[in-house]
Amino acid sequence: MSALKEKERTIQRPEELAPGRDFRYIGQRIPRADGPDKVTGRYDYLADGRYDKALVGVVLFSPHAHAKVRSIDCSRALAMPGVRVLTWEDAPDVLYNSGEWFPGQNDHPDERVLTGHARHVGDRIALVLAPDERTARIARGRIVVDYEVLLPVVDPEGAREAPEALHEDGIREFPGTIAFGDVEGAFASAAHVEEDVIVTPRIHHAAMEPHAVFAAPRPEGVLELHTPCQILFGIQQTVAKVLNLPFSKVRIIKVPMGGSFGGKQEAVFEPLCAWAAMTLHRPVLIVTNREESIAATRVRAAAVGRVSTALDADGKLLARRFDVTVDAGAYLSGARKVLMAMGKKTSRLYRIPAVEFAGRAVRTSTTPSGACRGYGSPQIHAITEIHTDLLCRRLGYDPVDFRLANLVHPGDSDPSGASDLGNARIIECLTRGAERFGWDHRSKVLSWGRWRRSAGFACCTHGNGYAGTIYHDVTEVSVRIMEDGSVVVRTSLHELGNGTLTAVAQIVGEVLSVPLDRIVVTEGDTQFTGYDIGCQASRVIYVCGESARLCAEQAKELLRSEAEKLWGCPTTYENGELLVGGRRLSLGEAVRAVETKGGTSVDVHLTYSPDRNPGSYGVHFADITVDTCTGLVTVNDFLAVHDVGQAINRNFVEGQIYGGIQMGLGMALTEELAFDAKGRPSARNFDKYHMFNAPEMPPIDVLLIEKGEPGGPYGAKSIGEIATVPTAPAVVNAVNRALGTEMTCLPLTPARIVEALAAL
Amino acid sequence: MKIEFVVNGESCAAEVDSAMRLIDLLREELRLTSVKEGCGAGECGACTVLVDGEPVCSCLVPAVQARGRDILTVEGLAKDGQLSVLQQAFLDCDAVQCGFCTAGMILTAHALLMKKDNPTDEDIRTALAGNICRCTGYVPIERAVRAAADRIRAARS
Repeated sequence: MSALKEKERTIQRPEELAPGRDFRYIGQRIPRADGPDKVTGRYDYLADGRYDKALVGVVLFSPHAHAKVRSIDCSRALAMPGVRVLTWEDAPDVLYNSGEWFPGQNDHPDERVLTGHARHVGDRIALVLAPDERTARIARGRIVVDYEVLLPVVDPEGAREAPEALHEDGIREFPGTIAFGDVEGAFASAAHVEEDVIVTPRIHHAAMEPHAVFAAPRPEGVLELHTPCQILFGIQQTVAKVLNLPFSKVRIIKVPMGGSFGGKQEAVFEPLCAWAAMTLHRPVLIVTNREESIAATRVRAAAVGRVSTALDADGKLLARRFDVTVDAGAYLSGARKVLMAMGKKTSRLYRIPAVEFAGRAVRTSTTPSGACRGYGSPQIHAITEIHTDLLCRRLGYDPVDFRLANLVHPGDSDPSGASDLGNARIIECLTRGAERFGWDHRSKVLSWGRWRRSAGFACCTHGNGYAGTIYHDVTEVSVRIMEDGSVVVRTSLHELGNGTLTAVAQIVGEVLSVPLDRIVVTEGDTQFTGYDIGCQASRVIYVCGESARLCAEQAKELLRSEAEKLWGCPTTYENGELLVGGRRLSLGEAVRAVETKGGTSVDVHLTYSPDRNPGSYGVHFADITVDTCTGLVTVNDFLAVHDVGQAINRNFVEGQIYGGIQMGLGMALTEELAFDAKGRPSARNFDKYHMFNAPEMPPIDVLLIEKGEPGGPYGAKSIGEIATVPTAPAVVNAVNRALGTEMTCLPLTPARIVEALAAL
Repeated sequence: MKIEFVVNGESCAAEVDSAMRLIDLLREELRLTSVKEGCGAGECGACTVLVDGEPVCSCLVPAVQARGRDILTVEGLAKDGQLSVLQQAFLDCDAVQCGFCTAGMILTAHALLMKKDNPTDEDIRTALAGNICRCTGYVPIERAVRAAADRIRAARS
């Protein structure tokens, strides 16, 4: 296929990359602090450690999509030395919702740590523990379970009409609506009404590190849990609920993580591990392998979205109506939140006077869904952006001009009542992107032999935290300038691999003019670091980064004012030193003097809650070739344009974009975790789950729009989630344009493409 | 049975059985935990090590096959605390995010550069085809291998 690429894909040399701008650290290409350990194999993930006196737990998973356990015979497992088994019969009868991250959110609880009523292949029946993993796995194989197999529900549309509800609560669906404006009037007076139904797939996060968690009972009734997670305090409240412990007795420690993408955001194995450790009075390590991580953790929720658009005679948007079904999988988890997050995006990309968004999360006999990079944003943008291209084609509008006439402008408000859009630079993203990509000539359809070549693009928006939503947004941070002038920043951050800790060090280093190798930024430990609502919702740079900047400013001012008091002469802070009268003092000297003579430590604690939640924006352009004989798509070239306000670390921003595109290309073309009529997954491991590898990736050009976002540190805003949002619809739009098809069921596998071509 | 082999330049001996894979031998017995298990099925490349200079998925190789072989893991790349050219290039090009695939990527690339000191860009991408990375989109990893190849050649001339 590479012979078809007209542009040779050249790998760039480091010196060819765009340099940073006018700051000391902000916007520069600063190496990540954990890099040296990672390239030498010294960065130990949870499963790399040795845990004294610990039992290693493996979960006995249901092989059936829907079944009740009649009986379980563990005798042959228990006959092995050191083996213990905990079954659903031992487990506390406490229901929880793995996607609830704050007490009182009232996310419907329907999951137990272990269950005798299996609701998907991979549901947790028992926990088998042994002194080592190999013994535990052998013991698990010796347990005999007698299941009464029941009818599964696989189709989310069918879940509402299934003869029997899957859960004892009898609830068939969890509805949600968002509405504003006169939708009915708009549709009645519209010159054109267009409608499409778009289906997006269930996707495995595929963090390279499979899930693992460690729990140990500690003195004074404290349960200590080590987990590579994203929301420490969310895990804490779920574990506390299951164990019926006060939060103060549940200590959660974030440990090194080999990727998450939302897959380690919800409480998956943590409650089970904590309960086992407390029950057995032993440390417990639960490890999983890839099969278990695919079947028994979380997936991106599949969605079916019907969207109707009302337009006036000039192609102006009057109103949109949505009917969306989100497949929660076996347990509700965060799926209803994902549904509502989808709805919240519909009023923030285009100027649209009226929207009616109605949807529901439904439970099926499949792997539970939950958070996944973008939290509904890739799904809703696939729905709206594929539909927008199709309606343009049907009505004869140019897809660029149509969007430019309808996209939001900087400073627009959100008619749904959510936070204002801020410095929303989507129009600039589109116009500059179209020019740089050469949209006018690339969008033409080339046809030779069995090949068709064309291009497509898609626009999108994503948030920057929770301000203006039903959720609160609070973070705490401490900055202490130490006696030698080095700095510790205590946070409850979670390093996910994206460089969060280094980015925050850059912000603090910029404020204090302290070299980054003298700054340490901590991850979270619920007993020693302050509260934070979690590394979710694209809030880390905009909210936590800004809190670190403000806190560092306060620490700087505290040191300056204390020094001024101490020496009684005008004092300024310059370039990492204090200028006291005519005298220059190093930070260390100043801190020591303020401590010993002034009785003050330079340690500032800040609680921060943002009052804004602007939009980040982006456009992706894809140039593709389709082989009409095999249905195989080659992505020839790619441009990503992102309105990021200001890059904190250019390498990290580009890294998020490259990785986001890799995930999005999979959503467009290859990645799908399907289930057959019996509820059996199509993929058990990576052999049947195809992600883009190095030779399949297109060359990627990145254009950053950096016009500053008020309220963000040095004008920065989010990139990590939005980076994957417009990829899939851009590719689908390109394929539909090249072939003249109207394919709306993702991913566009060769089989689906060949089928669509046959139907033309 | 007892086998003898070389790991990272040092002679080793270990007791292995038929159920033990090379990855188990390296991780559990020798505590070389840079070797990661991402899929256990030879699909992701996270467990890549070099056996007599050839990259293999250590999750697919029975431990007994290490007998008499020369094995390299990423722990053996840095010499006297000095990172290899490739390791340094991974840092310089930001080719590491979560780090779980990194050791396998570096070893696969190391094997390529040992064989070809002037690989084409296509050679680099093809060599990395069996190593999955979910974080970086491979772009900075390819740059790191390219940069390392350039630097190694420049140092020779």
